[in-house]
Amino acid sequence: MSLTKKQYIMLFLLALIILIIALWQPHALIYGIQRGSLYALIALPLALVLGILGVLNLAHGEFLTVGLYLSYMLYERFNLDPLLSIIPVVIILSLIGAGIYLLTIKHVLKDGHLNQLLLTFGVSLILIEIINIIWTSRPRNVFTSYSYSSMSIGNFSFGTYEFLYFFMAIAVLILLQLFLKKTRLGQATFAVGQNPRGAKIVGINVSYVYLFVFTLAVAILGLVGAVMLPRTAIFPAVGSPFSLKSFALAAMAGLGNMNGILIAGIGLGIGEAVIKSIPGAGGWADIVFFGVLIAVIIARSYREGN
Amino acid sequence: MKKSYLLIVLSFLLAFVLFSMSGMAQEPIKIGAVNPLGDITGRQSTNAMELAVAEINEAGGLLGRPVELIVVDSEFRPEKGAAAIEKLATVDEVDFFVGGMSSGVHLAQIPSLKKYKKVTVWAGAASHKAEEAIGADADWYFHLHPWDYQQGASYGVGWNAIVKENPEIDIARVFLAYEEGAFGSDSYKAYAAMAEQASEGKGAFAGVMEEFKGASFKSAAMGGGDYRAMLQQAKEYNPDLFIWAGYDADAIPMLGQAREIGFEPNLYVGAPPGWPANFGRNPLSDKVILYGMWAPALNEVSDVAKHFWDAYVEMHDEEPATYFAPLGYTNIKFLAKGIEKAGTLEKEAVISALKSTKYVSPLGSTLEISPSNIIQNQGFTRQKILQYQDGKQHVIWPFEFATTEIEYPFSW
Repeated sequence: MSLTKKQYIMLFLLALIILIIALWQPHALIYGIQRGSLYALIALPLALVLGILGVLNLAHGEFLTVGLYLSYMLYERFNLDPLLSIIPVVIILSLIGAGIYLLTIKHVLKDGHLNQLLLTFGVSLILIEIINIIWTSRPRNVFTSYSYSSMSIGNFSFGTYEFLYFFMAIAVLILLQLFLKKTRLGQATFAVGQNPRGAKIVGINVSYVYLFVFTLAVAILGLVGAVMLPRTAIFPAVGSPFSLKSFALAAMAGLGNMNGILIAGIGLGIGEAVIKSIPGAGGWADIVFFGVLIAVIIARSYREGN
Repeated sequence: MKKSYLLIVLSFLLAFVLFSMSGMAQEPIKIGAVNPLGDITGRQSTNAMELAVAEINEAGGLLGRPVELIVVDSEFRPEKGAAAIEKLATVDEVDFFVGGMSSGVHLAQIPSLKKYKKVTVWAGAASHKAEEAIGADADWYFHLHPWDYQQGASYGVGWNAIVKENPEIDIARVFLAYEEGAFGSDSYKAYAAMAEQASEGKGAFAGVMEEFKGASFKSAAMGGGDYRAMLQQAKEYNPDLFIWAGYDADAIPMLGQAREIGFEPNLYVGAPPGWPANFGRNPLSDKVILYGMWAPALNEVSDVAKHFWDAYVEMHDEEPATYFAPLGYTNIKFLAKGIEKAGTLEKEAVISALKSTKYVSPLGSTLEISPSNIIQNQGFTRQKILQYQDGKQHVIWPFEFATTEIEYPFSW
């Protein structure tokens, strides 16, 4: 793949910004990469559902919450390490996701976005209330010896566990792209995402593809939930803020641009960490996060308009 | 004819007496409670209120009448909390109001409370804004939880006493990490004011606090959860005492992130309204200091606390996990004691009796009423300083309720 001159300049500027941040606030760079990767990891399945099904899933964060609680339950009941609980959590959450898709979302696929938003908002409220009834609103945590492991470079110590988010985000991204390009089901999914009517005409089972994609997206959230659990306090609303950030990343990267989600996630993560590291400016992190998002969307629509 | 006439009259008389007696027996004293039932604080407070009412009824009720507790859920929402007072006053026609928690909810309830002016014994809501809203004239209003400024002052008194008792302990440099919302910001303002006073040799922290710095963070409860930038600032400041004012969801992740960046203050203090489930089981919790009104370890030094604990566990098959449980129990028992002392439900008599009632509470301290900055009837004025040791919360100050000595310094 050859890059244009403009892309080289952009990459050079990006590398320069990262170098400056690394020298000025090394911890902000590390925290930003780690946090940003988590944002991207959570946003990827949302982008998949949005790109293929065209559904804005407001219950996205709540599926993550369910994944966290399932992993927590396995830890509490069977003393199963959260990282070992990935497989059962992914399986259980896939079944839950498939069930919810068949019972609800499937029936509004042809409706307008408003109905889809209302439906998924209802699903999110029901999931939160069920969790509240079963586990109450009291925060819960697990303790694992590795979740706060750290390393030091000179006087500078930092946690290493969250690098797992970075590697997982890259792994999920690569696997998703391999799936979409190299497998028959993936190619069918890609075709459905491009043109569902055309895909149906050539014999692709569009309903099955939709079910598969939604289930896959929820399964990825199960994976993320189990990985997040060792470092996160869980409570019924823990996943909700991630829905908003995932939408933001999907909007910033552009529909179907999964590489863009990882870059946008890390970029915004670093920006957020830099703002937070300035004494007295921590409260501006979200304003900057969404401010950058608005600026990018406006710039893109201006460019497309031209 | 005469005989049958007499029989009819006697039958009527008997029926009237029986009807009156049964009417009296079924006419309970109604106490209306408003609590957030979806939250552990409200749920356990309500459980404890039910326990207190059950004990009172088992002992024959109050003034020969049974006590009925009518609970309405505030859902931690101001409009629901205000509607709950209206419902209790107009539909249930309760005699007294009790509850509740959250200053935000209470601020919305105060206009309704002022409208009905029933005798009210309120357990929670610490903001001085609620005190201002109640005003100095409300002689019918009794408030049990210490106000925010009283809490801050009591910590100063406590740390002064601890430093005096343990000369190796130093709290000259204090760093406050506060969540960005109203709760954290109010805490910051209170500490900044106390630090300024201390620098002039005045106030509760005079003589112990010399320097003060604060930094905000976004609580996990509000969508945050990454504290490392704030902790980095704290580490660079190198405080003797690090204190954070946030929510229970922040407790363990903040500790873990502090450990991974190598931040190890001599005193690590948390001041959330509640703690996460099984916090003590987490190895990171050891030597963490906290502020509160109660600790389970009080069972070892207080018979009332022990009785409350055992009865609560027996009735509800769970352990009290928040100080709102013994506070809810105290709420009902204190009101009941006042009613008994008054010997009537007449408002002025009950107010007068409550003003002079002393109740040895399961919170360790004795509840008695005195004026605070604005209101006439304030109950508790001090918090306690507690410390997690080997998975258990222990009282380290006030010394008269201490269940152990402070472990110092904090280390990983």
